[in-house]
Amino acid sequence: MLGVAMTQKTLRELDRIGGDAQLYIIHDDDRIIDAYFITTAPVRGFEKIVLGKNPLFVIEAVMRICGICHAAHGIAAVEAFEDALGIMPPANGRRLREVIGLLNRVQSHLYHLTLLLPDILPNEILGKKLLELINLINKVNDVMMRIGGAPTHPPYIAIGGVLKMPTETVINDSKKKVADIIKRYIDYREGLREFIDKCSSAVKLKKQYLSSDADILATHLFYGDRYAFDPSKITVKRYDEYRENKEIGSKSTSMIALYDDRIVEASPRARLQLFREYSGKSLWDLQEARFVEIELVLHRILELLDRIRPNAPHRTGTLVYEHGEGIGVYEAPRGTLVHFVELNDDGRVLKYKIIVPTMFNIPVLEKSLINLEPSLGDLAVRLFDPCVPCSTHYLRVRK
Amino acid sequence: MKPKILLFDVGGCEGCPMTVLRSLPSIKDRVELYAKQLGNFDPEDKYDIVLVTGSICINDEHMVNILKRIRENTEILVAFGSCAAVGGVTRFCRGGQEPRPEHRVFQPISSVVEVDYAIPGCPPAPQILNTIINNLTGRAGPFLRIFAAVAKSKKLSGFDLLDDVVLSGLCIGCGACVLSCPTGALQMIEKKPDLIVEKCIRCGTCYVRCPRASQVLLKKYPVQLKVLVKEV
Repeated sequence: MLGVAMTQKTLRELDRIGGDAQLYIIHDDDRIIDAYFITTAPVRGFEKIVLGKNPLFVIEAVMRICGICHAAHGIAAVEAFEDALGIMPPANGRRLREVIGLLNRVQSHLYHLTLLLPDILPNEILGKKLLELINLINKVNDVMMRIGGAPTHPPYIAIGGVLKMPTETVINDSKKKVADIIKRYIDYREGLREFIDKCSSAVKLKKQYLSSDADILATHLFYGDRYAFDPSKITVKRYDEYRENKEIGSKSTSMIALYDDRIVEASPRARLQLFREYSGKSLWDLQEARFVEIELVLHRILELLDRIRPNAPHRTGTLVYEHGEGIGVYEAPRGTLVHFVELNDDGRVLKYKIIVPTMFNIPVLEKSLINLEPSLGDLAVRLFDPCVPCSTHYLRVRK
Repeated sequence: MKPKILLFDVGGCEGCPMTVLRSLPSIKDRVELYAKQLGNFDPEDKYDIVLVTGSICINDEHMVNILKRIRENTEILVAFGSCAAVGGVTRFCRGGQEPRPEHRVFQPISSVVEVDYAIPGCPPAPQILNTIINNLTGRAGPFLRIFAAVAKSKKLSGFDLLDDVVLSGLCIGCGACVLSCPTGALQMIEKKPDLIVEKCIRCGTCYVRCPRASQVLLKKYPVQLKVLVKEV
């Protein structure tokens, strides 16, 4: 018998991920030999849009890079401007901003779960469970509406703190709502458990480990810390240069980020591993980490709301527009997000660069697919929760 | 049979598709929703209503062709959200960015295909989808006329609101525009709205919400209403 396995090449349009992308795999019958994650969404070019603009516009614009992790971009931007202008928000402003960012993290993780549900649940109950989950997301949106000003692209994120202080009634109501969300979320998560245990793909992915070539990158459990790593060690490459494959690589509309010339995983799993002694290293543990993180984050939101002082200031009063350079580092739902800004003498944007977590994660994702059963490729990609709208909107950085 | 609705994004931020998914509990009994996000999208299938989100990059031939094919395969095409309807924040796109510096021109989808209704909002409130579906499948109300006119106008912003309503003396100072603005770019100054220009992202929500501006729109663009013809 000829025991030679045939090598095939397959290009698939991916569905149930955030945005438009394709997966190109080279594989035989049993395993994936090489994988390319190719984003196909057009490049809107936000770093170019914001040139010459007032910071007020920039915050509104960069939030619209992504409708899933909007607040993360807003917070990274205001952090960058504050760093450039030497502004420190008061405690209330800083805490409320953290609440807005964490609500966004819960929104994003739960939204990602809606994309994952068809992989976990049998068809008979899929519709019912999907609606239950959307109702839960709507409850989170309701709190975001009150604290952030809108469920998507929350307008209260501002340089120097937040634009509006919620009333005591709103804070108390929000605490009740968040406590209720925690209860419902835990019930929902535990309800999924038996199906996850029975799901054959999940069982297989629990035994498939993340690429050992990758380090982990995370700066903070809840917010972001620019001193927890060295932003100057980030390098950005064109995807085709990184893959050294012009033919396939040039189709991608996203770029790749490396840290200290190494591939790094920026994810909820990385955060938990660094700051909470989380030990899961399988592909499925990427999702388990989100399950853990949602609960943790909701409790943190309650703690922060308890610490809002109604009569204390929520925003620094004086804003002076002048020349400056700043870095905003924030832990977005998918991992470390970095905004760099340089302002001209009028306080308008001279340079702007954005590094999003999906840029770090694409190489890790591709390497982790190697040796996997070809049929599990789509789900494995989904577990990384790549965000295409984000990853297709940044600029090349030269060392 | 329930009408088939397709949700399709041509290059937006995914905020509008999320709004549509959020409204699923309230529309599920009346329509069948198809979307990449739900994993049941088939580009070759025919749909009764298509909700397109995101503005179209006319330098991206592949996406332009998909959009045209979707238009051919659908009865009613709705531009959902500001980017698809009037360009929104992508009106500021200038191109020049790696790895696709040639992606320069982003337009509302009505620049490429015929659009029946355009709904601004960044993102639109989920409730509006309910209203639209009711109007398209039942009795067409005055709502539809405004959205059909937006589809013809192609661009709307806070400046248009000031020009057409406030500066022309039509404003009654009701404040609806201020409440509708998603970025807080409008404020009431001496009982009349004023624009914080650097915060306006050209989403057009204020213009459609203003009771006077929407009338101006209807005068400018007289429209024929189109609803689903088949029994639903």
